[in-house]
Amino acid sequence: MSAHKHRLENQPAFILHSYPFRETSLLLEVFSRNHGRLAMVARGARRPRSALRGLLMNFQPLELSWFGKGEVRTLHSAEWQGGQPQLQSTALLCGFYLNELLLNLMARDDPHAALFDYYLMTLQRLAHETDHAATLRCFEKHMLQELGYALLLEHEAGSDKPIEPGAHYNYVIEHGASRDVEEGLPLLGKTLLDMAADDYHDPLSAQQSKQLMRMLLNHHLAGKVLHTRELIKDLLKN
Amino acid sequence: MNTPSSLEDLIAALRCLPGVGPKSAQRMAYHLLQRDKPGALRLAHTLGHAVESIRHCAKCNNFSEEEVCVLCRSHKRDAGLLCVVEMPADLLMMEQAQCYRGMYFVLMGRLSPLDGIGARELHLERLVRRAQEQPCEVILATNFTVEGEATAHYLSTLLNAQGIKVSRIARGLPVGGELEHVDSGTLAQAVLERRVFSE
Repeated sequence: MSAHKHRLENQPAFILHSYPFRETSLLLEVFSRNHGRLAMVARGARRPRSALRGLLMNFQPLELSWFGKGEVRTLHSAEWQGGQPQLQSTALLCGFYLNELLLNLMARDDPHAALFDYYLMTLQRLAHETDHAATLRCFEKHMLQELGYALLLEHEAGSDKPIEPGAHYNYVIEHGASRDVEEGLPLLGKTLLDMAADDYHDPLSAQQSKQLMRMLLNHHLAGKVLHTRELIKDLLKN
Repeated sequence: MNTPSSLEDLIAALRCLPGVGPKSAQRMAYHLLQRDKPGALRLAHTLGHAVESIRHCAKCNNFSEEEVCVLCRSHKRDAGLLCVVEMPADLLMMEQAQCYRGMYFVLMGRLSPLDGIGARELHLERLVRRAQEQPCEVILATNFTVEGEATAHYLSTLLNAQGIKVSRIARGLPVGGELEHVDSGTLAQAVLERRVFSE
């Protein structure tokens, strides 16, 4: 009976990734709104007539019920929430990128409700908009912020001097933008202010913010390679 | 009790099979040695023979004993169609359905960036070369999982850039399916991808 004490019903969640497990089951990496990232077994989900088959899709809002309190929970049921068109073409690859970031940077069992809501909104944007680069930059910034690595974008590092749009700065990891240092990534003040406002219309801001995000993410990934980034790069070469 | 080292080796070797842990491997080893020695010898012989003689067909990439497999050599197949599937089991399914008389290309996997399987790991350039051998339509029959969809998108971009005609198999309600019993994901996608009824 102890398993039922740890039973959770109808929790909003997304599947980040799934692996085949045993003969007919799936091992799921779940991002739940109220309980963070969890591992879960979906028993029999790979059977030909399994009702879970068409439900446990990545990028689809679901309501999951599960039990267990160990490292790997057991999925009890899944409900389709709908409202999110399946991601196609480049948007689909961008979706994989989001999931790869979350799998690599988000600790297990650590709830991030605001990040969950932002992820949901980002998937909507990927499905309906065409400037995926801007969508990804916004997500990267908010994700780092929610995970406790917020960027300092409106003030100079270690002071309350506001960033000036026309001035040149160097951005140093875990420090911020400064005019007085030699190292770090050189950026225009406007790029930082545009990032603060989630505005990526300016091509220079788009380009510099991409470089900045790449540097910061590589730092937080501590040597892990993002395979999706490689894949998108390979695709763009053709 | 001391386990003889050759028995230990056998148990360790059996564990290379998917889903076989130490306990199952031990059970299999005992069974083979105690109850079915001729079966064990047959297994050893056929396994050795298969590993030595089976390779990938130069045309379709499926398992084959010859340089080019029987299906690819057949004159009855339509060389103007090239169907891309993920695994040999998918090719068998297509053949069972008796709906297709063209050629095949078996990817032996799918793109799965989260598992570290990219374009290089799948040797997709081989498919592009195969499709360029003669004018043909490439039919993408990868699975309708997110990975299968990503693979289809990647391939279509790759092949379109070479001016090759690409199509994707359709998805929707199963034949004989009732709306009442179909899962929401399939139904939602079927509505989204509905098509115009024409005469």
